[in-house]
Amino acid sequence: MLEDLLARWITHQRWFAGKGRPLDDLGIESHTVLGTEGEAQLCHLVLSVRQADARDRYQLLIGIRAELPDRLKHALVGITQDGVHVYDAAHDPTLARLLLEGMAEGQDHGPVRFRHTRGVEIDTTQRSLVLGAEQSNTSLVYGDAYICKLFRRLIPGVNPELEVVTALAERGSPHIAKPYGWIETDLDGVPTTLAFMQEFLSTSNDGWDLALASVRDFYGQLEDVSAAEAGGDFAAESHRLGAATAEIHRRLAAAFPTDVVEPHEVKWMVEGFRRRLARAVAEVPELAEHADVVERAFHEVEELTGEVRVQRVHGDYHLGQVMRTPVGWFVLDFEGEPGQPLEERRALASPLRDVAGMLRSFDYAAGHLLTDHPEGETLRPKADEWATHNRTAFLEGYADVGAEDAALLRALEYDKAVYEVMYEARHRPTWLPIPLAAFR
Amino acid sequence: MSDTVNSAAIPNTFDEEEPRDPQWYKRAVFYEVLIRGFADSNGDGTGDIKGLTSRLDYLQWLGVDCLWLLPLYESPLRDGGYDIADFMKILPDFGDLGDFVKLVDEAHKRGMRVIADLVMNHTSDAHPWFQASRHDPEGPFGDFYVWSDTDEKYRDARIIFIDTETSNWTYDPVRGQYYWHRFFHHQPDLNYENPAVQEAMLEVLRFWLDLGIDGFRMDAIPYLFEEDGTNCENLPRTHAYLKQIRTEVDRLYPDRVLLAEANQWPSDVVEYFGDPVNGGDECHMAFHFPLMPRIFMAVRRESRYPISEIMAQTPKIPENCQWGIFLRNHDELTLEMVTDEERDYMYSEYAKDPRMRANVGIRRRLAPLLENDRNQIELFTALLLSLPGSPVLYYGDEIGMGDNIWLGDRDGVRTPMQWTPDRNAGFSDCDPGRLYLPVIMDPIYGYQAINVEAQQKNAGSLLHWTKRMIEIRKRHPVFGLGEYIELNSSNPSVLAFVRELGDDRMLCVNNLSRFPQPVELDLRRFVGVSPVETMGGVPFPPIGELPYLLTLPGHGFYWFTLPPAVPQEE
Repeated sequence: MLEDLLARWITHQRWFAGKGRPLDDLGIESHTVLGTEGEAQLCHLVLSVRQADARDRYQLLIGIRAELPDRLKHALVGITQDGVHVYDAAHDPTLARLLLEGMAEGQDHGPVRFRHTRGVEIDTTQRSLVLGAEQSNTSLVYGDAYICKLFRRLIPGVNPELEVVTALAERGSPHIAKPYGWIETDLDGVPTTLAFMQEFLSTSNDGWDLALASVRDFYGQLEDVSAAEAGGDFAAESHRLGAATAEIHRRLAAAFPTDVVEPHEVKWMVEGFRRRLARAVAEVPELAEHADVVERAFHEVEELTGEVRVQRVHGDYHLGQVMRTPVGWFVLDFEGEPGQPLEERRALASPLRDVAGMLRSFDYAAGHLLTDHPEGETLRPKADEWATHNRTAFLEGYADVGAEDAALLRALEYDKAVYEVMYEARHRPTWLPIPLAAFR
Repeated sequence: MSDTVNSAAIPNTFDEEEPRDPQWYKRAVFYEVLIRGFADSNGDGTGDIKGLTSRLDYLQWLGVDCLWLLPLYESPLRDGGYDIADFMKILPDFGDLGDFVKLVDEAHKRGMRVIADLVMNHTSDAHPWFQASRHDPEGPFGDFYVWSDTDEKYRDARIIFIDTETSNWTYDPVRGQYYWHRFFHHQPDLNYENPAVQEAMLEVLRFWLDLGIDGFRMDAIPYLFEEDGTNCENLPRTHAYLKQIRTEVDRLYPDRVLLAEANQWPSDVVEYFGDPVNGGDECHMAFHFPLMPRIFMAVRRESRYPISEIMAQTPKIPENCQWGIFLRNHDELTLEMVTDEERDYMYSEYAKDPRMRANVGIRRRLAPLLENDRNQIELFTALLLSLPGSPVLYYGDEIGMGDNIWLGDRDGVRTPMQWTPDRNAGFSDCDPGRLYLPVIMDPIYGYQAINVEAQQKNAGSLLHWTKRMIEIRKRHPVFGLGEYIELNSSNPSVLAFVRELGDDRMLCVNNLSRFPQPVELDLRRFVGVSPVETMGGVPFPPIGELPYLLTLPGHGFYWFTLPPAVPQEE
């Protein structure tokens, strides 16, 4: 039975969300042949997986061959009773090319629909490679032209990234990777994004790696060298990143509905922050000594009398989500926090939430190398100096933070740091000092 | 057709019977030499042409293909010889025309070429043309310069030497009029509106080409013509005149080179190559100015983006053209020269970093700029020799010479070449007090520590290393002729690129950080190829479907050849 093979295989996949819990049932909800290439057949499956009370849907691309060449052995799912080899087709460039063809031609295969972005040409000769080390999705890189993200766990609805990137591209944003095409189907009667293909940003690196190179350089400098004088100074990049962020926010506000939050609604928001703070203090006693500082910042926001502008935002903004390319900064992953319900990921928020996220990320970049550094304590002031220097440059580049906003920004940042304290205490206790330092 | 020309070695004879490669400059290694500073043949304390000629064997041994000489013309020397008082005479300090012809002949015998600076835009105010022009407005030279009754014209032209000049016009009491000068007030601009000036300058070019010179570096060419309502730079008529020069050169002197000095952004500089449709019909070469500071910036920032960006912004150039690239030369660019555009990246980076500004503004040599760090000197040299363009070495940098900052900004990097540990560094046998500039004597860079003789004896010296790198470069014409393709590198501190010309493929990986770094490269295009490291010839593991992992020491680099793939089983 194919289901049995899949059940044994799926629990070992990195993107499988229910690892470590018994798998009670696995059913194939849909099985679509997408095409054949030589002896190999490409199929699209939607699986329904039940673990206790939870039921999740996953999509798979499987390949079927009578014999498996050596280079594909690592992708084997299993061999059926009649000797057919079933394998993960994402690893087979011959089959993965069919996805390009599907999008280029706008093919329909039963319930699975391939589409391309208006006005683009897709080069179907590019050879694919699976990108390693992804948590919740699988990405195929085609040559150095495209990157196609397969969403593994399916949630009914249009993926926010497809929606946002397409809208920003139509408005000519220079800071996003150009969209090329997508694959969709209907789940529970709702059009649902299965995959999204964008321009591949070749010769680029994420902001986190760049920032760490700068921090590392700064730690290696002589003592009297300031962050601005250090060779690896990152401030000009931070400044440009701030400007790119502001540009994205402006275009998001133009492309999607916006709203305002009245002062009394702001109070509710702050109440939410307080509840989180209380939970965190209960869980992480070290946080208690900082609670006053945080509370003062929250209170200040409650006192605000103006409305707060809200709009579509990135939602999970940090240095790992931005790529430095030879033509400037690009912003990726407008998905919001994966695993959250779609309505929540689409919800309007203050753009300062993204700003707060990035500011926290600068702190992380500065503090991250100190966590198990033999001279960690000695370098602490340098970490602070680097973070302050680059946070300031980022805000100058962003340039759109008024005095009223400053209070809100601080509260948002503290709220984020409180969340980080809980997260680190649970998952990476050695990193706990990084968010704890946010309240000093 | 062009392929066969390209893949032939540069002919090492200048025998009239042998075919000569008209595109030699695309692969050549240039060497900028100060006649004054290289070797003194007559013991007067100043280097001269005969001295240089006596050192040609050394330059041939090093692997130099073409010498670039700074101005060697009659001059009052108020601007390092760029103030020419007679285009057809050699500065007596340097020798005479006979010495020059001998130099060119001897260079040609060794397969080397010689180009020289020529200032097209202006002359010295001591030039007889200017003297005639101011004294006799109605005479044959009356209209050779740009004269005006007022200093009101061409107001949109910026003043380039803002530190010393307050206007582009200076009043001449003799003629009772103002004359135009884009540079110093003692360097009046020639009036190219006058056909007689155009013809006179063509005559100058023909004079030197007939003596055997292989080309010119044409100084300050964006400024030849003026026009009200413009900034008087890069005007269409300037380009039209350059096309006229090129036509004349092509007609009579087919394998010579015109090298433009236009200190502008690459997208503007390409205009000086002329029409891409016919492969370029103005200058054969132009300097790529912004690359140099960006190499410094990239290593300082430990990030490849300063280089990646400028390469991405560098337009394609016509087929028969080539960039000239350099790390150091006698006369650095200043920020004012390249930062017209507000958005200019370099300005925002440089303006905030006092040390980077100093690197650009103050004239320093390569070794002291890099704190005499051998690894960095090697990395910089490897970049110079592998990025697209023909490299220009600055005399003395091949041995890591130092500078003397107490001599003032330009002279600090123009001290005598250090040949031996003997008196005057073997440059001259004069009384040391007579030297045009003192030799470097400090304990680190002084001639007793740093000199050609000692380094030639030591196989591990910078000189031998440089010579070996030049050899490798010359074995692989791809460095001069091939495409530049930047690779996807997982590490922002690692700049990796492929140079490619048919089967000649070179993979260059450079660690811009002082810390050891790993890098994963996407080399799927070369599946099955086993890269071979060029310095030692060691084959590396074959490239597969997975990212190719390399580790580099701090400031380390690799040059790999990529031979054809060994077929793989399916």
